[in-house]
Amino acid sequence: MPRSGSKSGLTRRELLRRGGLGSFAFCVAGAVQMLTPAAARAAGARLEFLTAEELDLVETLGEALVPGARAAGVGHFVDRMLSVPDAQCLLMIRYLDVSPPYGELYRDALARVRRLAPAHRAGALPADIAGRLMRDDAGDWPHLPAPLFYFALRGDAMDVVYGTPAGAARLGLPYMAHIEPPALP
Amino acid sequence: MKRRAPEDAAEVVVVGAGAAGSLVAAELAEAGREVRVLEAGPAWELGDLASSQIAARRLKWAGPVPTLAGTHPVYHNFNAGWGIGGAALHHGGVWLRTQEDDFKTASLYGRGLDWPLEYDDLRADYDVIQAEAGMSGDAKAEIWRPPGDPYPNPPLSVFTQSRLVERGFDALDIPTAPLPSAINSRPYRGRPPCLYDGWCDAGCPIKALANPLVLSVERARGAGARFQSSSYVSRVLTRSDRKRAAAVEYFDREGEARTVAADVVVLAAYAVQNSLILLNSAPGGLANSSGLVGRYFNSHALVTHYGMFDTATQNHLGTTGGQLFSQHGQPKTRAGGPFGSYQWQIGAAMKPNDLLGIANSRPSYHGKALTEFLERASRHLASMNAILEGLPDAANRIEVSDRRDAFGIPVAKVRHSLPEDSLRLVDLVREEGEAIMTAAGAREAWSAPLAYSHLSGGTVMGTDPGRSVTTGTGRTHDIPNLYIAGASLFPTNGATNPTFTVLALARRIGRDIQAHW
Repeated sequence: MPRSGSKSGLTRRELLRRGGLGSFAFCVAGAVQMLTPAAARAAGARLEFLTAEELDLVETLGEALVPGARAAGVGHFVDRMLSVPDAQCLLMIRYLDVSPPYGELYRDALARVRRLAPAHRAGALPADIAGRLMRDDAGDWPHLPAPLFYFALRGDAMDVVYGTPAGAARLGLPYMAHIEPPALP
Repeated sequence: MKRRAPEDAAEVVVVGAGAAGSLVAAELAEAGREVRVLEAGPAWELGDLASSQIAARRLKWAGPVPTLAGTHPVYHNFNAGWGIGGAALHHGGVWLRTQEDDFKTASLYGRGLDWPLEYDDLRADYDVIQAEAGMSGDAKAEIWRPPGDPYPNPPLSVFTQSRLVERGFDALDIPTAPLPSAINSRPYRGRPPCLYDGWCDAGCPIKALANPLVLSVERARGAGARFQSSSYVSRVLTRSDRKRAAAVEYFDREGEARTVAADVVVLAAYAVQNSLILLNSAPGGLANSSGLVGRYFNSHALVTHYGMFDTATQNHLGTTGGQLFSQHGQPKTRAGGPFGSYQWQIGAAMKPNDLLGIANSRPSYHGKALTEFLERASRHLASMNAILEGLPDAANRIEVSDRRDAFGIPVAKVRHSLPEDSLRLVDLVREEGEAIMTAAGAREAWSAPLAYSHLSGGTVMGTDPGRSVTTGTGRTHDIPNLYIAGASLFPTNGATNPTFTVLALARRIGRDIQAHW
């Protein structure tokens, strides 16, 4: 029994098999498609976990951390990874010995970022906000310390911008895959 | 041993399908034993080992996250494995023999603990394993190497990054040698040579690196061993007298609690889980008459040094373990200096992203500064890692925490602090690293914050049942049909990567089971 399908009738397994390099399962116009985070953003893929405002915060902060992250789909990457079971989450936070649920940790952190920018407008945050998180100059963060969130989201943004064949090419490096990056749930 | 119904029993149940567990399974299955291996994570195959740092995170621990404590909390999730192949599925293939004096630090130096065996007891196992794996290296160039057969393959290739850093070692008159690796430098026993594309830590799917899927899982399966994935072991069950292990309790992929009876149980579930399973198996812990289960938890502190060179470094080429190394820091005592050994590994291949990626060599950089740094560093950065001996301390320990996992089982609390001697050794190594990079001609030289790798201890072996958990063959002193395998047995960890010794011990454990059961 497939866990989910698409309008074409493909099973999740078949979708994964057909997926392109570094793609993930996103829902676009009611159908599950295997897309890169950048393509998911461009296609307006449905958010599974984040709110629209949270998506904007991830994209804006991600762009401040790693230029290019917004267009590379850091928001949709984070959204997708926070919507799967924690054991399947591939965000940097998985390495940081933080106890799940990761989604609630990100949600709490984003709310605290939001409070640092009361005049927040879509696509804009105070210029020094990334530095304040890094320096732990962002108030009390009881669940996920601000420097750890800085480190985690910076890692997520690095993944979508540089952790792909296109990202390596951006630096003029050969990617040299044994097995190309797979499609993932 | 008695034969049982296959679905709920096996002669030998091995917990954990990593380097230790899968090799014990292979040895026993080939000896005709009925072996079941329970693995918490998925059933990886070589075709799953995609060249992607993002996808490779699937190979790292995804079970209950321990609570970390102490002044220097270890990196658990990054070090531990998840799935068949275990942590060795994403290891760099750096295989070094434990130094002879590391087996008797208490006797020789009055520090730490003695092992219940000596180097010579493992030498033949090292030799057999390196021949099976097809190790590459130059034994003669390793002036620090304990006695042993030469490597079956010549050294791996050395690229510009390492040659540049080597100049610094040469200038300071510090010897180096090719890094001995369980990676083919030429075709060997039907396996191809390395392509030097730096994806070792994402898992090597071409069989150039002798990970457990290549070295032992295939052997074990071929001899009839059954690997059962998505089976998270929570306890070892005993007979009513608590003197014999009777079964293993685990949770299957649907979250149902099940048991599998066994004549012999081998815990090979990595350092933290081995202790946790014992502590959760009985009030006060199973096999814990010494009170030492969980004690002497240990790790290697890692100091990574970076240098930015004017010359292009080719840092994308090579293997993730490195290309050259130096063990000139092996002598544990130094006049007026801290106690403990260290070694340098030079020239690890780098990727831009991930925990050990180029970007995290400068974790404070972001925005435009990060972009500019990446453009420069991806072509001109070089690195080397110092691995520092961890000094055994009973206060560093694995305990049962107040938190419970999704199955209602208490999770581990891991306490880890570095003693004063280790902190002084870190300072010494940082100074030396900067001197080496500067002497090599680096325009900038800096070191990263401390990291931790190679978790060990918690169920240490020894001769005295009052001062250790197992014998020198991994058999618990209290329960003769309950064995431990893996680095959790290590009384000391020296400054050498543990996998080779884990494998040598696994062969020894297999022989003991074969002889007694």
